[in-house]
Amino acid sequence: MDLKEIKAIIDLMKKSSVTEFELEQKEFKIKLKRGGNHPGDGDDSSFYSARPVMAVPASLPPPPGPSAALPAPPVSNDAEIKSPMIGTFYRTPAPDAAPYVEVGVEVGPDTVVCIIEAMKVMNEIKAETRGIITAIVAENSKPVEFGQPLFRIRPL
Amino acid sequence: MNPDTQILRALRDAGEAGTSGAILARQLGVSRAAVWNRIEELRKAGYDIEASPHHGYILRATPDALHGDDLMARLPVNRIIGRDVIVFSETTSTNDIVEKLARDGVAEGSVVFAESQTRGRGRLGRTWCSPSGCGLWFSVLLRPNLRPTAATQLTVISAVAVARAIERETGLHPEIKWPNDILFGHRKAAGILLELNAELDRIRYAILGIGIDVNLDPDSFPPDVRNVATSLSAEAGRNLNRPSLATAVLRELDHLYARLHAGDFHEIGDEWMRRCTTLGRRVSIRIGDRSIAGRAEALDEEGALLVRTEHGTLERIIGGDVTLEKNG
Repeated sequence: MDLKEIKAIIDLMKKSSVTEFELEQKEFKIKLKRGGNHPGDGDDSSFYSARPVMAVPASLPPPPGPSAALPAPPVSNDAEIKSPMIGTFYRTPAPDAAPYVEVGVEVGPDTVVCIIEAMKVMNEIKAETRGIITAIVAENSKPVEFGQPLFRIRPL
Repeated sequence: MNPDTQILRALRDAGEAGTSGAILARQLGVSRAAVWNRIEELRKAGYDIEASPHHGYILRATPDALHGDDLMARLPVNRIIGRDVIVFSETTSTNDIVEKLARDGVAEGSVVFAESQTRGRGRLGRTWCSPSGCGLWFSVLLRPNLRPTAATQLTVISAVAVARAIERETGLHPEIKWPNDILFGHRKAAGILLELNAELDRIRYAILGIGIDVNLDPDSFPPDVRNVATSLSAEAGRNLNRPSLATAVLRELDHLYARLHAGDFHEIGDEWMRRCTTLGRRVSIRIGDRSIAGRAEALDEEGALLVRTEHGTLERIIGGDVTLEKNG
């Protein structure tokens, strides 16, 4: 398995709801995991591999050219809205309220898209850019890490 | 400094000795008639100011009502927290007002009180009951030089400030329930909520909202909080002077905020840990639809609660609803 194939799997995972992928072959094992970890579970790498040890960055840069071996996935220009702190991700201002944003919604720089809470600090996260929400990456009321992507947004 | 703040500060400084209209007029740079006018206005607002032929004006008693000018007169001259104090008789939520001030570029340290709030709020859309003239409901605008990841330090210093002020003013010993509720036994007397506006690497502003149940009759609490709420008057067995407590909180906050920026967070954090009675207790925590139960074992250096679950694993808790088990 080469980098291109791994990249293709990552792209497929990004587009689908698959959050974990594990493959074991002779002399080769890879495990891919998307989304946040629960803090304190002792494993803060988003994925790992063994035999041979391979370190693959979570988001690979787009391939330099069209791949001959695999159909090139469309290069995504979407930006990410990331968490500025460790905390709990809330999509709604209150448990019974409607979410701040949904996929397909157009947002402005000051549109609140979610709340991150840590120790009674409620951080209203703004979109910071004008665009359309294309994906909600983090899971409601689950822990998120610093810098973890929360949403993908297609700039307008 | 505005004239009423100056007059009240001068009267407090003079105490029983009093100060003359002529001296006040000179200090303020106005006529004695103008001073007399201000004194009349203050009397109408409930300030008992005696005019003695030998001593001039003496401040005998102050009302329990909150007045921005009076609160500022009680604070040190050099301060950040309380640099400006505004009191509304009623508003939706003092956090709403401070948010507007923040957007207008107002400098940090401005404080907004309301005698009553129509939509006082807690975490995640919960309401905070804030009847008129009974409590301290206020918000402070902060522009801390901290990274968003360190914003939880504000939670720690504000809890310590409120606990210290209550202790100083009442002689009571409030407990801190992780992370920043102020409790007596199992009942909450004060709550603190921080709302942050941040970029990835800096805090634009933070709004510190504090609600303290001061002179409330527990029988007047809504039924859903009657068993979990208390007030300082109920705990102390007497009514307390609200302006005096308000000033004490702002002084402590100003002091601790300055120490935080001077790099003294660890000492404040140690005091917070000593006051935090959640440790060693059995707790259950609800985070969204997830529940964790176990024993609160320790606080880590960032203030997160470490809970040993029934399965023996250690969970690091940074949010959610923490319930103290009664027989823990």
